[in-house]
Amino acid sequence: MDTQLLIPGVIFGLSIGSIFFLMAIGLSLCFGLMRIISLDQLLYYSIGAYITYSLTLTTGDVWLGILGGCGVAGVAALAVERLIFRRIYERELTFSMITSFGILIGGIGVIKYFWGVVPRPVPIPMMTQLDIAGTEVPVYRLIVIAIAGLVYGGIWLFLNRTIIGKAIRAGIENVEHVEGLGINVARLFTITFVIAGALSGLAGGLHAPLIMVEPSMGLEVLAFVFMVVIIGGLGSIKGTLVSAFIVGQVVSLGSLIYAPLAQMAPFAIMLLILLIKPTGLYGSALLKR
Amino acid sequence: MMNAIRWWWGLLLAFSLLAASWAFLPLPFVNEVVIFSIYTMGCSFLLGRVGFISFGQPAYLAAGAYGTAFYLFYFGTDPYVGILIGILSGLAVSGIVGPLFVRLRSDYFALVNLALAVIFYYLMQKVLADITKGDNGLWFLTRMSSTPVLDISTPSHFFVFAFLVALAVWAFYKYLDDSIFGACCLATKINEDKLEFLGYSNYSVRLLAFIIANTTTALAGAMYAVYLGFVSPEITSPHRAPDPVVVTILGGTGTLYGPLVGAFAYTGMKDVISKLIGNWELFIGFLLVFIMLAGEKGIWGTLQPRLEKLFSGRKVGTVAGDGAEARR
Repeated sequence: MDTQLLIPGVIFGLSIGSIFFLMAIGLSLCFGLMRIISLDQLLYYSIGAYITYSLTLTTGDVWLGILGGCGVAGVAALAVERLIFRRIYERELTFSMITSFGILIGGIGVIKYFWGVVPRPVPIPMMTQLDIAGTEVPVYRLIVIAIAGLVYGGIWLFLNRTIIGKAIRAGIENVEHVEGLGINVARLFTITFVIAGALSGLAGGLHAPLIMVEPSMGLEVLAFVFMVVIIGGLGSIKGTLVSAFIVGQVVSLGSLIYAPLAQMAPFAIMLLILLIKPTGLYGSALLKR
Repeated sequence: MMNAIRWWWGLLLAFSLLAASWAFLPLPFVNEVVIFSIYTMGCSFLLGRVGFISFGQPAYLAAGAYGTAFYLFYFGTDPYVGILIGILSGLAVSGIVGPLFVRLRSDYFALVNLALAVIFYYLMQKVLADITKGDNGLWFLTRMSSTPVLDISTPSHFFVFAFLVALAVWAFYKYLDDSIFGACCLATKINEDKLEFLGYSNYSVRLLAFIIANTTTALAGAMYAVYLGFVSPEITSPHRAPDPVVVTILGGTGTLYGPLVGAFAYTGMKDVISKLIGNWELFIGFLLVFIMLAGEKGIWGTLQPRLEKLFSGRKVGTVAGDGAEARR
């Protein structure tokens, strides 16, 4: 394969991987700390994208739109956590999966009510192209990759250098001991859930200019995001990063080799990894509470 | 004799109600409900009795549907043989993936099944497009020959056939409930360590349950194929993956008649609400959340104890009560 195709392919894979990473990190944190599978993260992704669309239309600035999308998604996550998840943390895993799926479907209905079913375009904020080794590469995709890198750095610092982050990491190990130390676990859960929701909203906002914004966009990426979380291992941030970029590259380079492969190959890889190591690449055998 | 009547009367009552609904509801609606309830039965069995939630039931539905479609499109004309081949292909697919999947934990199991459904979707839509005709699907409505006695290529005879098949499926699952195997399934859901101590293998109980449930799903797929007369990759689209899970919960997880009630309510609501407000996801989504928060019993799960009290005039015995408790 010549470099003219390869370089844009790799960049495309990295940017799509970045978006998967931003969404998967929320799922991963929620699973690690609260032991819930929160399918409604895909709703915050759609909300982020739609708010980006609406704010871009009114203010004309896509970056402001993305920021707004991130914020609104965080607020929506806060409301859902307070109203619904608060009551179901104690329940088993499948329970949270089904309930959050109901939230996702209901939320898609709300989005259809406000914005209709017609796909909406969002303009790309930076049309400039950058020259890498004789190939034109869109700058916007590079910025998406950089933002994902910054978020990874930020999350790492947050988890390792702040007291709340350290409490979250301790909670992933053993939540009863954290509670015994006098830390307000309920607030810890809320903070984690809102961070997860806001990151999903950010992913939606960043993805919006690259695709069409439509009500069922969350369902389109559902399978891919879950694949990222599973390949990486539920509850591991580093694993999520690694697997997001594996999946991104497989989707992107797979489509260069043989188009139908792009959608199927990641799933085949996931099956393979799960059969060899049932807990994912970096996942430990976490016990159900 | 009395025991036999007691065993059958609930089934016969439920199905005579279903037959009666034929008189005043449109035929396509009732056909859809019967097939959908068979489809849901597999999912309900997996979720309610074995504790496995599967977001990938369309994969097995497609295995059955495409097994039937390939036979009717390329080889033969007899729809009965087609359905048989659909069931066999469902058996084959679940027999191949089963040993790999049932070792996984419940949450991974749900997502691996979803992955299988997506793989099937792209396999049928793109990779095997030469054989499956891609998105256009296989049309064989006119190729099916009429069969003697019960001509299932006509909708009204098809209903009689689907009705008898559903009755057989329900009798089979009711028998499973009473058998030792049914008890083992419940035990592997509730406490797998204790089941091991009793000398049963968790793995083989789960594998058998997986194969039975997904062969039922494949049967529903084969019936869809014969009823509609065509099969397209749409049948295994990931968008439809949650349908059986929603119906299972709506009807009442793990209850015998839950899938029937759920399929009825779901198909009915889909029809009525999409006509009235055209935005039915909103309704079904929040209904699902509400049912889960209100105790996840579903429609039949809430009604059943009350009906039993009403008819038998006494409190339900503790053993049966515990069983129903565990099945939720």
